[in-house]
Amino acid sequence: MSDNRGPAPDGATDGAATAQADTRSVKTGSLSSLVNTAGVYGIALLFLVLGAVLQFTGAIGNFLSPQNLLNIVDAVALVGIVAVGMSFVTYSGNYADMSVPTTMGLTGYICIELLRYGFIPAIIGAIGVSLLIGVLNGFVVGKFKANPIIWTLAVNYVTMGIIRLVWVNKQIYPDMKGSSPDVVALFDAIYRLRFFKLIGLPLVILILLVVIGQFVLTKTSFGVKLKLTGSAPKAAKLSGIPIETVIMTSFVLAAFTAAIAGLAVTSLSRVGAWYNGAGYDFKAVTAIVIGGMTLAGGRGTILGVLGGSLIIGILNNIMTLIGIGTFSQDMVRGAIFILVVGINAKSLRSLGRDDA
Amino acid sequence: MNEESMGLALEMKGVRKSFPGTIAVDDVDFEVRPGEVHALVGENGAGKSTLMKMIAGSFDDYEGQIIVKGREVRLHTPTIAKKFGIGMIYQELSLARPISITENLLAGRLPRKGPFLDKRLAKRQARSLLEGVGLDLDPDLPIEDISQHEAQLVEIAKVLGNDPIILVMDEPTSALSREEVERLFAIIDQLRKRGIAIVYISHHLPEIFKIADRVTVMRDGKKIATKPIGEVTREEIVQMMVGRSVKEFYKRQERTIGEARLRVKGLSRFGFFHDVDFEARRGEILGICGLSGAGRTELARVLVGLDRADAGSIEVDGSPVRGSTMAEHLEQGIAYLTEDRKIEGLALRLAVDDNILSAIIDRLSSASVFSKSKGMQRVRALIGELSIYPPDPSRTVGNLSGGNQQKVLLAKWLASEPKVLILDEPTRGVDIGAKMTIHSSIEKLARQGCTVLLISSDLPELVGLTDRVMIMRKGHFTREMDYGECSEESLLLAANGDVGTGEGRAS
Ligand SMILES: Nc1ncnc2c1ncn2[C@@H]1O[C@H](COP(=O)(O)OP(=O)(O)OP(=O)(O)O)[C@@H](O)[C@H]1O
Ligand SMILES: [Mg+2]
Repeated sequence: MSDNRGPAPDGATDGAATAQADTRSVKTGSLSSLVNTAGVYGIALLFLVLGAVLQFTGAIGNFLSPQNLLNIVDAVALVGIVAVGMSFVTYSGNYADMSVPTTMGLTGYICIELLRYGFIPAIIGAIGVSLLIGVLNGFVVGKFKANPIIWTLAVNYVTMGIIRLVWVNKQIYPDMKGSSPDVVALFDAIYRLRFFKLIGLPLVILILLVVIGQFVLTKTSFGVKLKLTGSAPKAAKLSGIPIETVIMTSFVLAAFTAAIAGLAVTSLSRVGAWYNGAGYDFKAVTAIVIGGMTLAGGRGTILGVLGGSLIIGILNNIMTLIGIGTFSQDMVRGAIFILVVGINAKSLRSLGRDDA
Repeated sequence: MNEESMGLALEMKGVRKSFPGTIAVDDVDFEVRPGEVHALVGENGAGKSTLMKMIAGSFDDYEGQIIVKGREVRLHTPTIAKKFGIGMIYQELSLARPISITENLLAGRLPRKGPFLDKRLAKRQARSLLEGVGLDLDPDLPIEDISQHEAQLVEIAKVLGNDPIILVMDEPTSALSREEVERLFAIIDQLRKRGIAIVYISHHLPEIFKIADRVTVMRDGKKIATKPIGEVTREEIVQMMVGRSVKEFYKRQERTIGEARLRVKGLSRFGFFHDVDFEARRGEILGICGLSGAGRTELARVLVGLDRADAGSIEVDGSPVRGSTMAEHLEQGIAYLTEDRKIEGLALRLAVDDNILSAIIDRLSSASVFSKSKGMQRVRALIGELSIYPPDPSRTVGNLSGGNQQKVLLAKWLASEPKVLILDEPTRGVDIGAKMTIHSSIEKLARQGCTVLLISSDLPELVGLTDRVMIMRKGHFTREMDYGECSEESLLLAANGDVGTGEGRAS
């Protein structure tokens, strides 16, 4: 450890003198986040290697087959889309949006119902309804400081109830609502689009969202305000930042990407069902925290969240190939979640008292 | 251990602690005797808090020896430190805010009846601890509902409840009113008589001459000297602190005061203040003086849009201030430096530059794209002007020393170039040199035409810096004094309603 206190023997309060002496200080902030993001991708790579090893030892079949790799990419794309939007909520210091599963489900129903009015109106209508859920969540959490987890969980169940009430416990199919066959075919085909026979539309959307999300988070005034809101809401408010609006926007973004993922699932499964989004809430949160975004808010990157989604996608695939049931898969994900949150809390504490 | 160290409550030998890029404490010897009040002084960033955090068990990687009651100990966690009877009152309040006073006071040793919490007993214990520091509060209140200075006293009560044999107080009075300071000194006196060893950190030298037995001066992480208080003068201490002789008081410079800028008419917030009328002009520094509870902070919060007024109007440059949020008021030029810097003032987890620019995000953005580089010149200039140490914009604010955090807070508001700047205790916790720097920055701001409202418990600061002082008592403006009339005595008398009980220095 070198001494760069800049002793300035007879002028310790002289700003100019000390300013020159202290140029060697470390920029821990940006460096450590870079290391963290790289680390996330390193872990993703490790899981890939793990899959390959399992295949070579014969524990699982065909992990490395093109079809399976494509499956992984598709799964990653869907989780990633949800996670990118939800990470804004996490970054704002409000943990997670647990209303994502039924938001996804509801968009499917609305879209299929509206297909009879054409493709574009159906998409816009479905996204519009989900944005309303986002506005509601953001308003209640931002303005009335409701506990975000409890509130969005409640909204999830209420939405579920509404779906089951309105569609009397039934799933609906794109071709049963008297919509024109052309529109149905288009809706059917759109998420199956593969550019160069390889890259699916969800992946393209995910990459776009990551690029835009990263830009919004780091380069826009909204992103800077979000960082302050997430790190120190009171101080942000007293700096004149409209934190209610900022929080509201983050929930709207989460609802928006949930809607896009919901449409994708509906199109791919050709069915509108309440369970279309089941499990995406927890998969997304896990991807977010694995990706280095801490639940305390104001820390992390979208690039990291993409890495987290990769890990979750690969892990799910391996577990499915091994033949682990969904219930046990949830347990594994839960254990990982607790582990990551625990490690985060500990490493923060060792850096000095965290003010969270 | 030899005989001499047997008689000491605490001895530190050659201790050293470094952070990445900084040696905060460098080869320091320090000792405290039972029944002694040992003052620890030094400039902001000298290493005082770090030295004391070492014995409070905050670090597990310090070097050197720590000897408690003649026995060498490794104080690697707060729990160990507590076991050896070390109590620490932190510079920054460390109470859990949404939790009740009782639970904070008795954390870790709440009385139980079988498996359940014994609420009645807990409340009784809490009440008696509060009485010990002269507080009459409902122990069920959450910390966030009581004022700063009450919270500070609760913190003191909490530490005393653990019966420490070595008690460290890191700037305990910076958030207290004058009456409360007197009360604290009485408590310290009792503790000293009981043989407790006390380390007392303060930037307020008169306090040190009043209660300390010995004083240790630190500079740049090193110990400069330890002296019995009777053998040094104030000037000598200051000289040891900064390494050269300094003029202590900022010389007042001429300023021209322009036309009216802030006009407040019949402003009321029921239950806090009533019918407040005043005018403040361009380039004027207007002081607001009053006891704790007089309504000063509440007035500031209404002026800046944090709380709603029940009646009255606010005008800036002839046009009424629109909107009811802080953001809107800020846009129209009214800014507010809060008395609380940890929660309301700064984002401690973020960097110095992020904090300094946090009030001007929109101004640095075009088409919603934020350009940090556009603001960096201003950040560097302010770091230089206020001599924020270390002068590195990328440092995490929470890792700066207390006084330097306060400078960052001021820098944030200077950067926003407001028309009206309300300062609530702007020099809390800063050292003598920094106080002068801050005062000259405030004057410079006024010279540029900004109207400054200064709320301060520091009477010399009010007297020396302001053009005019308004006296606030029980929610009303009762008097106004010009620069010529102002003195510490006259302000005190007026704040107390001319009854002259000798109390004052409110918060
Ligand atoms: N957690 C930390 N990480 C990095 N540097 C730190 C940390 N804590 C303190 N420092 C540095 O160590 C030095 C000593 O800080 P310390 O808080 O002990 O000063 P102080 O004497 O208490 O000052 P003040 O009067 O302003 O409270 C400062 O240069 C500070 O920036
Ligand atoms: Mg300190």
